[in-house]
Amino acid sequence: MKSVARNLLGNASDAEDAVQEAFLKLYRGLAGFKGDAALSSWLYRILVNTCFDMGRRRKRRAENSPAAPEAEAPAFDPPAPGVDPTVGLTIRSSLDRLPPLPRSVFVLYEVEGFKHREIAEILGIAEGTSKHALFSAKKELQARILTSRRWRPES
Amino acid sequence: MTFTCTDLDEALRSEEPGAFEQARVHAQTCPACRESLAVWAEITAAAPGLRQSWESPDLWPRIHQSLAEESQRRAAQEGQWWRHWQMAAATAGLAAVIAIGLVLRGPAPSPAPAPGPESPGVLKGSEDPQRRLLTERALRAVETSEADYVASIEHLAKVAEPLLEKPGTPVLASYREKLQLLDAAIADCRTEIDRNRFNAHLRRELLSIYQEKQRTLRALLEERG
Repeated sequence: MKSVARNLLGNASDAEDAVQEAFLKLYRGLAGFKGDAALSSWLYRILVNTCFDMGRRRKRRAENSPAAPEAEAPAFDPPAPGVDPTVGLTIRSSLDRLPPLPRSVFVLYEVEGFKHREIAEILGIAEGTSKHALFSAKKELQARILTSRRWRPES
Repeated sequence: MTFTCTDLDEALRSEEPGAFEQARVHAQTCPACRESLAVWAEITAAAPGLRQSWESPDLWPRIHQSLAEESQRRAAQEGQWWRHWQMAAATAGLAAVIAIGLVLRGPAPSPAPAPGPESPGVLKGSEDPQRRLLTERALRAVETSEADYVASIEHLAKVAEPLLEKPGTPVLASYREKLQLLDAAIADCRTEIDRNRFNAHLRRELLSIYQEKQRTLRALLEERG
């Protein structure tokens, strides 16, 4: 859960706050839980929505404040052998420029390993919508990677 | 039908192995599509590297604290003497259900070696050497949550004990009988769990019996008014 939140919010401290808030919201809404989805899916759905609420609040604060917030250094595991390390960096720096739905689907599917069926349940969308959002996210990332490579001087 | 460059997006969107294969064959003679497919595969290979884990020892106590505060706030608002125990049990139960759910789901697949352009988008999970350690930790978390939950229900049972000692009505007698059956089922389940602590199915079963016991006790106390 922390990893999902961190990839949606971009920093560990906000991610932990989001996880805490998600548990509290789940508890408050427990009476309204009808059992039409797994409780863990419901919790993830609350988490994703909480992350986007927090992201919006943070954006508003940043717009009202003259000082730019400090960006957290990107942190992630070393890439698998044979993977260009700049691809991971480009993905990381591009994630917050993706629209909310493609970004969530990309993080849940490609980063966290959920299946489209599970993502559909978590986000309350159709499986086809999840596939389309993933395609849209990867297409955008692909375009950014290809552009950065064309501008990169040959070594 | 001949595969052309304009079919590439549809092949990637569909995620069907047959369409990928056609795209791969086409890419052998088309440098632009070959590059597109290669980058597509690189994204899939690099993405699991963005999965992050870090120690946050104070997070779970923080969550537990905020849930307990919320529970107390509600109990105070509603002013029902038994509500507090119900909420405390629900809090611990929620923690146990979620912890068990997360254990059952297990960790996400680890990053696999980068697939080449000939197999875009296909990753296979590999065994994480830390998995066993994580499972042990998760199990400890489950056992702690379980213990809290059980303690809350047993407290509720103590409150209901005087009613069950000499049940004055047939309804109370049937509640006592049901609770005895549930206690027997709990004892059986615990014996099985002692033989295999990692059996998530048994833990789920135990939790559902405890939930039934909680519901029964609540109904019993409501019956008394």
